[in-house]
Amino acid sequence: MNMNLFDIIYDGQAQYLQRAEEMVAKVVAEKGKETPVKFPATAYALPCIYAITGKKVTNVGELEEALALAKEKIHRTNYLQDALDAGTASAMLAEIIEAVKYVYDEHPYAGRTVEDLNTADVRYLGHITDAEVRNFGVPLVTGDIPGVAVIIGECKDAETLAGIVKDYQGKGLLTFMVGKVIDQAIEQKIKMGIDLRVIPLGYEIESVIHVVSVAIRASLIFGATPPGDFLAHRTYTKNRVQAFVNVFGPWDNKIIAAGAAAIELGFPAITETFINEVPTLLLHQPDNSKVVATSLEVRNIKIKVTEIDCPVAVSSAFEGERVRKDTMFAEFGGNKTECWELVTTGDLAEMEDHKITVVGPDIDDAMFEGKDVVRLPMGVVVKVAGKAMQKDFETVLERRIHYFTNYIEGAMHVGQRNIAWIRLTKEAFEKGFRLKHIGEVLYAKMRSDFDKVVDKCEITIYTNAEDVKRLGEEMVKPIYAERDERMGSLTDESVDEFYTCLLCQSFAPSHVCVVTPERLGLCGAVSWLDAKATKELDPMGPNQPIVKGEANDERLGTWDSVNAEVARTTQGAVEQVTLYSILEDPMTSCGCFECICGIMPEANGVIIVNREFPETSPVGMTFGELASMTGGGVQTPGFMGHGRFLIGSKKFMSAEGGLSRIVWMPKELKDDVAERLNKAVKEMTGIENFADMVCDETIASDSEAVLEFLESKGHPALAMDPIM
Amino acid sequence: MSNEILNYDKVAEASLAKAQRDGAETMWDRRAAQKTQCGFGEAGVCCRICAMGPCRVSPVPGKGAERGICGANADTIVARNFARMVAAGTSAHSDHARDIVHAMHNTKAEGPFKVRDEAKLRRIAKEWDVVDADTKETYALAHEMADIALEEFGKPFGTLRFLKRAPQARQDIWAREKIEPRAIDQEVVTLMHSTHMGCAADYESIFRRGMRTGMSDGWGGSMIGTEFSDILYGTPTARASSSNLGVIDAEMVNILIHGHDPNLAEMVVLAAQNPEMIEMAKAKGAKGINIVGMCCTGNEMTMRHGIKIAGNFYQQEMCIITGAIEAVVVDVQCIFPALPELAKTYHTRFISTSQKAKIAGDMYIEFSEETGLANAAEIVKIAVENFPNRDAAKVEIPDIKQDTMVGYSVETIIEHLDAVVNSQLEDKLGTVKPLTDVIYAGVIRGAAGVVGCNNPKQQHDYAHITVMEELIKRDVICVVTGCAAQAAAKAGLLTLEAKEKCGRGLFEVCERVNIPPVLHMGSCVDISRILHIVNLCADVRGIDPALLPVVGIAPEWMSEKAVAIANYVVGSGINTYLGIIPQVLGSPNFTKLMTEDVQEFIGAHFVFEKDPIVMVDKIMEDMEAKRVALGI
Repeated sequence: MNMNLFDIIYDGQAQYLQRAEEMVAKVVAEKGKETPVKFPATAYALPCIYAITGKKVTNVGELEEALALAKEKIHRTNYLQDALDAGTASAMLAEIIEAVKYVYDEHPYAGRTVEDLNTADVRYLGHITDAEVRNFGVPLVTGDIPGVAVIIGECKDAETLAGIVKDYQGKGLLTFMVGKVIDQAIEQKIKMGIDLRVIPLGYEIESVIHVVSVAIRASLIFGATPPGDFLAHRTYTKNRVQAFVNVFGPWDNKIIAAGAAAIELGFPAITETFINEVPTLLLHQPDNSKVVATSLEVRNIKIKVTEIDCPVAVSSAFEGERVRKDTMFAEFGGNKTECWELVTTGDLAEMEDHKITVVGPDIDDAMFEGKDVVRLPMGVVVKVAGKAMQKDFETVLERRIHYFTNYIEGAMHVGQRNIAWIRLTKEAFEKGFRLKHIGEVLYAKMRSDFDKVVDKCEITIYTNAEDVKRLGEEMVKPIYAERDERMGSLTDESVDEFYTCLLCQSFAPSHVCVVTPERLGLCGAVSWLDAKATKELDPMGPNQPIVKGEANDERLGTWDSVNAEVARTTQGAVEQVTLYSILEDPMTSCGCFECICGIMPEANGVIIVNREFPETSPVGMTFGELASMTGGGVQTPGFMGHGRFLIGSKKFMSAEGGLSRIVWMPKELKDDVAERLNKAVKEMTGIENFADMVCDETIASDSEAVLEFLESKGHPALAMDPIM
Repeated sequence: MSNEILNYDKVAEASLAKAQRDGAETMWDRRAAQKTQCGFGEAGVCCRICAMGPCRVSPVPGKGAERGICGANADTIVARNFARMVAAGTSAHSDHARDIVHAMHNTKAEGPFKVRDEAKLRRIAKEWDVVDADTKETYALAHEMADIALEEFGKPFGTLRFLKRAPQARQDIWAREKIEPRAIDQEVVTLMHSTHMGCAADYESIFRRGMRTGMSDGWGGSMIGTEFSDILYGTPTARASSSNLGVIDAEMVNILIHGHDPNLAEMVVLAAQNPEMIEMAKAKGAKGINIVGMCCTGNEMTMRHGIKIAGNFYQQEMCIITGAIEAVVVDVQCIFPALPELAKTYHTRFISTSQKAKIAGDMYIEFSEETGLANAAEIVKIAVENFPNRDAAKVEIPDIKQDTMVGYSVETIIEHLDAVVNSQLEDKLGTVKPLTDVIYAGVIRGAAGVVGCNNPKQQHDYAHITVMEELIKRDVICVVTGCAAQAAAKAGLLTLEAKEKCGRGLFEVCERVNIPPVLHMGSCVDISRILHIVNLCADVRGIDPALLPVVGIAPEWMSEKAVAIANYVVGSGINTYLGIIPQVLGSPNFTKLMTEDVQEFIGAHFVFEKDPIVMVDKIMEDMEAKRVALGI
């Protein structure tokens, strides 16, 4: 069957053009040219058009200009570049169409307004916010999200579709859905949501632009790629965003035109219905059972497979899954029972690898017959041993219990150490999940993720109240205390080596983090101990030691050794950084930072905004807008991305006066860090309960009211040297 | 002497200035001495096939003599002259092939001639229905295959074996039009007979017989030459080399191998690797022995051993003019008789080696398949001993060379294509389907084989390079052989980096398949490789090759071999574009037959176009029309 592929693309593009022209004419007539145009919570206007052309569309009038820019891309010839340009034009036109939807309706995608996506009638989500994009940063760079699948159309039956989506989800991929596949996924009870990595965008093909926008913003945010340099953007997306497209059912010309846009960005497309193939870019795979393998191969995505004896799926995609009361079967901890976890080192010679023991009743014990919910205390001891194992790595491995347990479909893990809290779903229980399976998962992940240091691993799960209490007191607490002491003594001064962290360079090629005991990686995911352990696990890997030597300036935190390493690892893009200042050569960021701090000059201090906070801060910018000032390895004095944990470090902008410069934080963040923050400020300045002096959005968010509050509390920043 | 024609090539300019200083005569001097070339000869209307003549008829119908003494008109005279060029060209390729087959006949496990690609030997044996092709002892099989191949030259009945490689649709056309070639020698002989005085006098019949003879070159002599060379010397694989006069090394003993046949050159390379020979070179003050190639011997050696390419046809004199060549060793075809005389201007020894191409003026060392290595050793020794005679004052090597990638046999291309096949699809490995996919998708608009010589009627290499650069810009992939391939090498088109000069579609293909946009497929007999891959593509799609958007191009051709090639390429259903107009314009009927009427019965035709840019425009129209017809 022969077809003219380019004619198909040009026809699809013409359909987008017609619709966009009609919609823009209508919105101009009905709303006027001054009406603002924007997608929610993004600092990049209409991100695709912004990246492709450099033009920031902010109002309805500018949509006409955007339309003209899209038309400039359209040249009908027989050459691939022009056909791909028609695809790019289609993407721009689709973004215009979507933007108009947001002019008429604040929530054109109803899934955004519901409490629980998995019970709602309408689940599509449309535009993805900057914060949500940034959230994907860490898992993308660590390979935790190994790829991005975009599923379009309608599968021949819902079971098949469910199998494919579950397969992607089980492999940790991020899956975006457009079209009737969403209904099929709902019918098959696929758990969806941004946290679960299965994201229903919308029914119309135009809504596919919201995933294109995610890829484009990865380039803007993490790559610091200049807007308007489309070649640089598409080089970035091709090389760094491992996305691909699956089209089910019969395709139409608009889908293929969108496919051309995807191909231009380096994302191959695989169709179920026959199409003239282009090897590595456009494939025809009629066999649904092979579409996953075909897609992974064409995008060269390698999945590390760990065989785990467990009746439910185990995948990083389930990390964000919440277990609510109504679906809950069993609960451990959470203030109702005692629950702790511990990783400790055993004797290699004496241990029996893969020994999993449950001491005490399991969740199917007869005593729970007829009960609403199973509640048990729990103590988890993970004993590891290996020739390269070091005591310092115990906490690194122990923190992973949180993630590994969360990877279980139907399990939720919150907290750590002796404030751990675990819930299991009824569904998991019905599928045969029992406590030994927690052991199986922990065993398998410890062995596979830490294979260089863990040669043997034993898991013991205690559920007798008496055991949990006794061991908690006698064995666990002394170990925690010993570790706290060790952590307390770990300061920047007490160690000889810092570590680079290049994990993000796959996405942000000119950024490097310098990780010190008192300054963890800005993503919040890599502490100094993590970096040290990673060096052991992967000697040539992303964390390399910097022998720090003499400081040039203790106050600013500058070292020749650090500068030399930063210059080398950024290929000269950044030549100098300070570790303790946000005004002089502040450390760069990749874009996936948890928090950003920025100067509030009138308060003589800084505000901190975390990624989850959607509102405008006292400096007049949202997190997204603040974040767009920096990231991608750019140094912007006065702005710095960082991890939550840095709030509480005595080195936090210590060159400018330190923690007591903090004047405002969102309430949730403040509550989260209060204990550590108060302790550190007390030790540094003698001030008690410093967190109470810090303003938040429940008190005030406009500049004057914030100042008023600070004055009323006698905030120390007001009396400090001028910050600027 | 006029240098105007050479301004495309800076190497030539300096080289010819040096020739002038050294008092050496070159082709440009002789071209100038020719003054205006004969108009009757140019139009093809001069007949000297019998002693009543020479007769010449008017190249303009209705003016002057319209018939020769026997009554032959312009149509007959032009057709006969053209057909005889086909016969001569076919002879050259096929006689070359016969030598290769003789070498195969002389193979033995201990060498020097031996089987180096046994898999290919067995593959072709199977293709030719040899019993026990998989299991027979290697050399027994090789000798049997040599016997069968020799039969192809003179078998009394039947048609050529390789014709079966074409899709059935094309074979049917050949059968219908009666142009399936029989034994190669028979086709040449019968054509010479037909064009004898007082024989055929129907221009269309002569043309058809000529085409059949040409077919016995492409599907016979050339294809046997290629395939058997691969069996003997290894099937070429992608490898790096270097090109242009700068590859001549001032500190080494330089031996230029020139001509067409790999048999001699392979032995020379072997002899030059002998440690004793290298020691001898060092004893004479050289750093070693540097073998450089020219014309198709150069192509054969570069694609199998990475031997550097000194240049193409028009540079053969320039090579000697560098003053740094110890010996020019030649076998057959395209060797200027002027070379021995030119060599005398310098210390260079000129050594001819073939009974078929004995060239007077310096040395003759007869090469035979029985005593090959000993002959080669003698030649290398002469070169080494000549090193001290070099006159340093006369040495001037242009400091220009270009890295290049060579060796894209059909097998190597398929191997590269395999890398883009998704293992989850039903597509099998080892096919050209990915290539047809990108053509059908429009990612590349078509494919062009750019081949042929140099000719002072065109600015040297300019037509080759312009055509190739324009085509790759317009997303047409090029495959090249012969002197066109060497032009491409010198211009840097045979590099992975050349993808930057391509349209987006071809750029993507080059990047994903990891190939240059212009693929070096070998020497002029290796146009059979191009035929093979086009036919594989047609086969994958189940169509006649004539329907594919592919063309053959000879921008600067000059030899009779090129005429034979053009005939078999058109005969195989591929439109063929000639940048040098063949000597046929004296017969408007014959010209129309070539450029239009042949389309009706063969499905392809010749196009004459001197301007390379206009030629490319015409090619694009041609390809787009074929695409529309296919619905792609």
